[in-house]
Amino acid sequence: MIRTSRVGLVHAAFLLFALVLLGRAAQVQLFQTAQWRTKAKKQQLAASPLPAPRGMILDESGAMLVESRQLVRLNIAPREIFGEGKKAAATGPRNLTALANALARLGVSKEFVARSTDTSRTWVTIPGRFLMGDVAAAVAMHGVHSVPVLERVPPANDGLRRLIGRADDAGEPVDGLEKALDGVLRGQSGHTALLRDAKGASFDSPSLSASDARPGETVLLTVNQTLQDIAEKALGDAVKHSGATGGDIVMLDPNSGEIRAMASRRADPLSTSATALTEPYEPGSTIKPFVAARLLDLHRARTDEVMNTYNGKWELNGRKIEDDHPAPSFSLADVIKYSSNIGIVQFAMRFSPREQYELLRDVGFGSPSGLPYPAEESGRLPTPQRWDKQTPASLAMGYALNVTPLQLAAAYGAIANGGELLQPAIVKEIRATNGTVLFRHKRRVVRRVMTEETARVVRGLMRGVVEGGTGDSARLATFDIAGKTGTVKRTEHGKYVAGKYTASFVGLFPADAPQLVILVKLDNPSSSIYGGKAAAPVSKTVLEAAIAARDASLDRRNLAAVPQRVEATASLPDSVVQADSIVRVTESGSVPFVYRLDSPNKLLPATVAARAVPDVRGFAVRRAVYALHRAGFRVAISSGDGVGPANATSPVAGALAPSGSTVHLLRAP
Amino acid sequence: MRGRSVVALVLVGFVLVATGVIWRRSYGSVRAREQQRLEQQRGALEAERAKLEGDIRDASSRGNLAKMAEEKLNMHIPSDSLVIYLKRAPKAKSPRDPH
Repeated sequence: MIRTSRVGLVHAAFLLFALVLLGRAAQVQLFQTAQWRTKAKKQQLAASPLPAPRGMILDESGAMLVESRQLVRLNIAPREIFGEGKKAAATGPRNLTALANALARLGVSKEFVARSTDTSRTWVTIPGRFLMGDVAAAVAMHGVHSVPVLERVPPANDGLRRLIGRADDAGEPVDGLEKALDGVLRGQSGHTALLRDAKGASFDSPSLSASDARPGETVLLTVNQTLQDIAEKALGDAVKHSGATGGDIVMLDPNSGEIRAMASRRADPLSTSATALTEPYEPGSTIKPFVAARLLDLHRARTDEVMNTYNGKWELNGRKIEDDHPAPSFSLADVIKYSSNIGIVQFAMRFSPREQYELLRDVGFGSPSGLPYPAEESGRLPTPQRWDKQTPASLAMGYALNVTPLQLAAAYGAIANGGELLQPAIVKEIRATNGTVLFRHKRRVVRRVMTEETARVVRGLMRGVVEGGTGDSARLATFDIAGKTGTVKRTEHGKYVAGKYTASFVGLFPADAPQLVILVKLDNPSSSIYGGKAAAPVSKTVLEAAIAARDASLDRRNLAAVPQRVEATASLPDSVVQADSIVRVTESGSVPFVYRLDSPNKLLPATVAARAVPDVRGFAVRRAVYALHRAGFRVAISSGDGVGPANATSPVAGALAPSGSTVHLLRAP
Repeated sequence: MRGRSVVALVLVGFVLVATGVIWRRSYGSVRAREQQRLEQQRGALEAERAKLEGDIRDASSRGNLAKMAEEKLNMHIPSDSLVIYLKRAPKAKSPRDPH
């Protein structure tokens, strides 16, 4: 009985123990699942963030300009290198010597090699980033820790670096397009799940879920790398040889508004921005073709109309105005050709202040171009209320206003393409990582600023500048160029400085059906102050190199079709003599014979794009005018009793109206 | 006796299964470490490829080549009069074309 009861007791104890175990297992497994799972995860798993590489930036042809690449940073734990225990006395010095040699091979400075082998230090971070392959031997050593980092490799060109900007060590954009397009270029970080083993070492586990980092989108710029290289080299040489303190070259396609090259140089090492966008300047005589264009458009002048230019010296409102090419009189064509200040000031006196202001505003001066560049300047164009009695004359000569090189190049684009001001573009396409095109640039007309016929006539006037005028040194042997020079006094601290000038030249290549607008600006050149002597030859150098290049974004078929000049010093074949020709005698005595090849590029009648009138109801008048103007319309504020904000427009908001047409704005009472 | 055999078999089975599980985990860990090492190697090679491509781009850039061609080979950029653009001949009609 007793025996039975003892066995039964033992059985009961085992049963109880089993029940307790079962109960505890049920509690852990069924009721505390989440809690224990979390605890286990903490002990056994670790999440490692995966930084996303920023998107690539390519040129218009797909050539790489900027990309991210993975490098490593090195951290050294000298005490770990030396080791611990009895063996350390023997192996430690040997390990430190091996580390010192490995670091020296990587080009690490002696100072940091010494720090890394100083066992009184616990942790040393080696400056710089290294390729994993280069540091593989060092990383294999116990005590050398590598940290992967993504590095943004900047473009080789100085001008492109200024335009594209930089991203810092943490991958954060600092300036330029990197900052403006950060939302597109920034990728989506991922993470990887790591398993920890009993020794604390962690490793990837393919069975655990992880999210891959998604790289940023790819951005194709409109820049052509070949043209950019050509522009950079030409500008560098020009700055060096002319003794200039800096300069800019802008090249754009006048038919699409796409910027093909933007080179900038500054002696000041602190200048890192794209100065063609951020440093406005007084354009000087390069403004004159726009004055002539509006006069022709308004039928206030003819190209052959002669103006007294007083042998190059004239006084207006107590101000002496002089010409570098004095003559008793000039026609409007010669005023442009020889850049007569006296002539253009007198022609511009046919404008009312409002008309003169509007002509400059209409070609885009005083407003940012809309390029995605964070620090783009809008320039300065004073409203007529702020003018003094000298301002109209100053504006006619290209003083009293500031424009950026890009604004001026875009304005010349209107002369080149038949009168339409296009919004400049720097981004051609944005592509997702799978190749899907998310955005593609489309030609956008801001407004028509002159008629097609006027644009053609003005191109003819500008052709004269290069053929015997002030821009003769931009002349090419084969192709006709249209251009305009500018020489303007420089200001410092708001005052003009004697002996300091900005020399500039804007060219259209070729003069017929232009494919490129090229603007060259040199700051304070010392060899020659004149745009025709200092800047125009740079334009010639750039265009010669572009013509000879295979991939300079030129339409060769159209270039082959445009009229080309043939220098003829011997007798000419009859077939050529009988062609539709223009013969001119040049200063050199040679007779350039221009014969017209069949041109398939007959200009099509201009089509004015209709666009929707924006809804500006409730806007303050200034804001409403600005919005309508930005949308490509002219604005007339209807006279009435209204003094309040914008109340209505005619045509009404949403209605389609031709770009450049006038929208009447009514104010609320 | 029969009961003890069953218990022994169950125990042996348990030991075998446990051994299999542990072996699989160990094998998986070794493979995971190998995979991680290969991933790192791939990353390093990718980075090296990017660097080499960049070096090739720099070396074959117009800025570099033009300078070398001018200095070492005495070449120069031709003036526009030395460049001839040929007009593309109109496409010849195929005899199969209906018109």
